[in-house]
Amino acid sequence: MVCMLLTVVLLAACSSPQEGSTQATQQPKKELTFLFNFASQTVDPSLDYTPLRAGVVETLVKLDENVKIQPWLATQWSSKDGQNWEFQIRDGVTFQNGKKLTAETVKQSLERSIELNPGVKQVLRIKSMEASGQTLHVVTEESFPQFPSELVHPNTAILDTEAADPDKKPIGTGPFQVESFTAGTSLKLTRYDAYWSGAAKLDRVVFAFNEDANARLSAILSGDADIVYRPPVESMDKMKQDNQLKLDSVVSLRTHELIFNTKKPLFQHTNLRKAFDALVNREELKDAIMGGQATVAQGPFLPDFPFVPEYPTRKTGAEEALKWFKEAGYQVENGKVTQNGKPLTLKLVTYASRAEFPIFSQALQSEAQQLGITLQIEQVENYEDYLMTDTTWDLGMYSPLIAPRGDASYFLNVSFLPDGTLNFGKINDELLNKLIYQLDQTVDTAKRNELISQALTRIHEQTYYSYLVHPNTLVVYNARVKNWVTGKSEYYMLTNQLDVEAK
Amino acid sequence: MIQMLGKRLIEFFLFIFLLSLISFAGIKLAPGDAVRQLLRVDDVALTNEQVEIQREIMGLNEPIIVQYGEWLSKFIRLDLGTSYMTHRPVIEEIWTRMPATLLLSCTSIVVLMGVAVPLGACSALYPKKWIDQVSRVLAIMGASIPSFWLGLLLIEGFSVRWSVFPSMGDGTLMHLVLPSLTLGLTMAAVYVRLIRSSLLNSLSQDFILGARSRGIGRKRIFWLHACRHSLTPVVTMFGISVGSLLGGSVVVETIFAYPGLGKFIVEAIHNRDYPMIQGYILFMGAIIMLLHVVTDVTVGYVNPEIRLKEGGH
Repeated sequence: MVCMLLTVVLLAACSSPQEGSTQATQQPKKELTFLFNFASQTVDPSLDYTPLRAGVVETLVKLDENVKIQPWLATQWSSKDGQNWEFQIRDGVTFQNGKKLTAETVKQSLERSIELNPGVKQVLRIKSMEASGQTLHVVTEESFPQFPSELVHPNTAILDTEAADPDKKPIGTGPFQVESFTAGTSLKLTRYDAYWSGAAKLDRVVFAFNEDANARLSAILSGDADIVYRPPVESMDKMKQDNQLKLDSVVSLRTHELIFNTKKPLFQHTNLRKAFDALVNREELKDAIMGGQATVAQGPFLPDFPFVPEYPTRKTGAEEALKWFKEAGYQVENGKVTQNGKPLTLKLVTYASRAEFPIFSQALQSEAQQLGITLQIEQVENYEDYLMTDTTWDLGMYSPLIAPRGDASYFLNVSFLPDGTLNFGKINDELLNKLIYQLDQTVDTAKRNELISQALTRIHEQTYYSYLVHPNTLVVYNARVKNWVTGKSEYYMLTNQLDVEAK
Repeated sequence: MIQMLGKRLIEFFLFIFLLSLISFAGIKLAPGDAVRQLLRVDDVALTNEQVEIQREIMGLNEPIIVQYGEWLSKFIRLDLGTSYMTHRPVIEEIWTRMPATLLLSCTSIVVLMGVAVPLGACSALYPKKWIDQVSRVLAIMGASIPSFWLGLLLIEGFSVRWSVFPSMGDGTLMHLVLPSLTLGLTMAAVYVRLIRSSLLNSLSQDFILGARSRGIGRKRIFWLHACRHSLTPVVTMFGISVGSLLGGSVVVETIFAYPGLGKFIVEAIHNRDYPMIQGYILFMGAIIMLLHVVTDVTVGYVNPEIRLKEGGH
């Protein structure tokens, strides 16, 4: 037995230097594990965002860091009337199976997405398409000036429709090709050497999923992951103390807002909405509740959008709120608000999946309590359905995606038009409706910006919502990771520039 | 035998029919909107009218009984429908995830048995001795520690501090160690006490005294008589445990990013993926029904008293 063990040890010792010398002549493979916070059950690009995030597929246009649209698989586009469009498809691009990207393959891919995903059909509103070489002619159902922006949508990404298994192994034009996919766990990728914009610096990437924030933190601490999306904010100090880790915090395209139910006679009064808006302590929400991982909101959009108006300085605090309550016809005595001698009791609804909202609600409840107003907080399941169908609530918390594709018309349409799917406050303002309808028909960018600015000014004047903060997206990554960029849009994560230093 | 089998089959189909009816009604009556989820209304500019049109296209505006009738007619032809989330057949989605769930269930059972059987047996053999006290403390700890916390503790120890096992994912046996320990240890806590009390109860039976008076050895009495007698409650409980393991341990699957059925179904529920939820309920119903039959047969085998009471087969 001892002899056998000695033989094994001896053999191992003899073989080691040889293996070592072989390895020394080879470049170590550059590998990285990226850990995301939502799991994908399919990687069909027409149904899921992961293939775009993972650099497997690409769209015709993309958003840059300033949330402006830029050419990607389409090099240029034009339309005179906002309905008839001509797109030039980039030449010299191949799918990961070597097949050339043409206008015809783009057409087939878009047709597939429209057929498969009713949401894409609504996003694109395409009446007909015609392909000729590298030129794609598109006719939309009606004048649709923001059509190129809508092509940023990840579900419009281009794939080879003739390739087998698009839901497990889609063939796109991106820098990484799918090696294997395990639903809900990980997507394994390898470099596509013939990528049109230069082969990726990484040989292999694992795009993994884990919905538990603490488990994601453990993964980066144990070295199981190199980049972790949205680690727990409460562990900021722990991550900062680790000199092997780097933190990136970027303001997102979401805005946390307080909704007023304007179907209630109470909130039809602008001054009452202004009173509640003044009660919100945004700095406290940002610093004390969100640990500084947010930006105080002036309006729905981040200030760097070209159409954001100069908002007048807003006064906040109990004094200011009392002033507006008085203006709204409420009695104010000894700092307490009453209506016809009776104290106010209102229902504030919220939901649990945004952890900060129940605490935001308690902060507002506390501010209101000081003015003698009772806010009864209710946490609701199926929140959007509840807001749409229930009539008993007065105030609500919500966090819409403000400009998912860089254009403002999406947000204005869904949040303010009477039949908009996110118009929870049941807002119906004739002037605002007119501005949005006009915007939807306007092609000229300067004119569009002017109309959006007017709409935002109107929203601010009427205080239809109280915009609270823009939350940040937090990413933690190992110091050996190079060229990581935390984008505002959350669409583009694995790029051909992403790199790692050898372990 | 054929009569019993026929009776069981009738019971099975009746159960599946009732389950399908109740679950279908339950899913449809629960709040939530599949169409809003499907259309991703939070990032597509839509009107409520367009949402309604889509609802009509999907037949979700029809009365529940009509929807159920359509579903049942497909089900009879063994068609469970297509998942709204992935656009793949429901049955394919279940089969794809089943092997991972089965594997995790098996390894968890190995941990469960490896811990619970020796500890429970030793506690019964040496009551009030140190081994009994230790097993009692471990059982209380195991029962009171939530599985997600135990999972995170194991990750902290074996992945972050000692880098022995991976903290998440699948593909190798190493990936199975921490989730199996989490599931197995939390379930073992209950079994330790169950095995102990069941064995103590068996050891105090008259037939054990009789065996001793006949001069049969202590080991033989323990293994051949007491153990067999004490298996009845353990086997019954085990059937239930296997059912819940196969049903999916969502928390453990989430923490370890394990590709099992449980996490997938929670996502399907969140997305109001009606065909997927309905298909899963029926699939699990059938498996649990089957497990009950297996449990009944096993209990009858280990306990002739029960077998005789139920008709002497």
